[in-house]
Amino acid sequence: MIWEENKSFHLMDLSDEKSMTILLNKPIDLNFQTLCFNIGIDSLTNVSGVFGGDLDPTNGMYWTWQSGYINIKMEGKSPHCLTRNHEFQFHLGGYQSPFNACQNICLDLQNTVSHDISINLQDLFDKMDLATQNQIMSPGKNAYILSQYFSSIFSVHLK
Amino acid sequence: MKYFILSYCFILLLLLTSVVIPDPLFTIPKGWPKPNYSFTQNQLSQSKIDLGRALFYDPILSKDSTISCASCHNPYTAFAHTDHALSHGIHDSIGIRNAPALLNLAWQKSFMWDGAIHHLDVQALAPITHPAEMNEEFSHVLMKLQNKPIYPKLFYLAFGDSMLTGASTLKALSAFLLTLVSANSKYDSVTRKQTKFTPQESNGYKIFKQHCAQCHKEPLFTNHTFERNGLPLDSILNDIGRMKITGLTSDSLKFKVPTLRNIEFTAPYMHDGRFKHLHEVIKHYTSGIQMNASLSDKLKKPISLNPKERVDLIAFLLTLSDNNFIFNPKHSFPKMIFFKNSESGKIYGD
Repeated sequence: MIWEENKSFHLMDLSDEKSMTILLNKPIDLNFQTLCFNIGIDSLTNVSGVFGGDLDPTNGMYWTWQSGYINIKMEGKSPHCLTRNHEFQFHLGGYQSPFNACQNICLDLQNTVSHDISINLQDLFDKMDLATQNQIMSPGKNAYILSQYFSSIFSVHLK
Repeated sequence: MKYFILSYCFILLLLLTSVVIPDPLFTIPKGWPKPNYSFTQNQLSQSKIDLGRALFYDPILSKDSTISCASCHNPYTAFAHTDHALSHGIHDSIGIRNAPALLNLAWQKSFMWDGAIHHLDVQALAPITHPAEMNEEFSHVLMKLQNKPIYPKLFYLAFGDSMLTGASTLKALSAFLLTLVSANSKYDSVTRKQTKFTPQESNGYKIFKQHCAQCHKEPLFTNHTFERNGLPLDSILNDIGRMKITGLTSDSLKFKVPTLRNIEFTAPYMHDGRFKHLHEVIKHYTSGIQMNASLSDKLKKPISLNPKERVDLIAFLLTLSDNNFIFNPKHSFPKMIFFKNSESGKIYGD
């Protein structure tokens, strides 16, 4: 059996702790083994107009000049970046084939009430070369490839 | 059996409401195809249309409150920017493309000359945030609207909530834009057999159907595709068109086929407004086409028209002018919303 959260869109901001907890209104007696989610917005939602709540385009996660949601924003500094103030800036998204950047992730779970899901950014940066690639701001091949790296950095452990 | 019949009736009713009447406030002109816009996600109401109209005419959408949507989309020129080849933004910034006419948008499948925008509801985000247009942050627009006394009231009337959101703001704009339907030109009267073309117009129509109608398909006068029409690249603007969106070299210099309705009012012409007059446009299609492998198939065979045929063709194009649309008081600046003492302003006054 698969239980799915209705209208399940959650905008998470690492600098806002409150946004990092998701409460699921699942049936109490439900046993579960696997948790699946997308990092990003599916293509159907992407082409279906404007939505409110966490999908509201005022949240800064929407490309205004070429319609589509930004799935992931990651910005920061690294001595490897020979850019202004050593900054890197990644805005990843794109829903059109063959570069649909939305990532589906499934994690094995123990049947407990609460779970912590960790992301290992070190894994991500190990795969990247910030010296040569430090700026992606549009959909396409580069955004697609980097989005795929994100799919392997999630892990789950008991709380 | 009874259930079967009942459900059959129900399905029929659903079909009727979804196909024939997409929305009680929206009429599909007779003989026109089904609109592309999904009205079920944004049901029209008069208060939503009024709010969208106020937003369309309010320069508060731009960073320094100097330009509104109507600055480049003037109702009296079919919502195009007549006399201006390229769009204008705040501080007199000039864009790279010609502001198109806004009409029959419910049938349009994508927006902008290169189709960068895929849904009417998100279209307004582009000019609002573009540095050479309104150069404003969308969240800041919302804050300004929330603090301007008329808007919380208008949003309450339209959405039952005086706290506005990005989604409700954009849906209200769409509601107004969807009402901009132009279907009352002389051409339409002729199709409805209420009047007749002059012999000159009639000959122009024949020429049109032979050489132009494949892309500028009736009754909307566009087939909603992107075509390379043989215009040489402007080396200053360097606009590659559709290729910017798809990344495909085969899409280089392809632009959206625009509607020809109200073409009389929408000069200058082409995606970059390079032609001031219709005869220049016809001259391009008869002798100016630059050959290329990805040139539109419909243009590969040369078009040859003598001077009389050119004039006749223009005479036909002028039958696409719709004065009822241009001067429709429901489309113009909503002074009863902005100035509460004028005529019907009492609805929105304090």
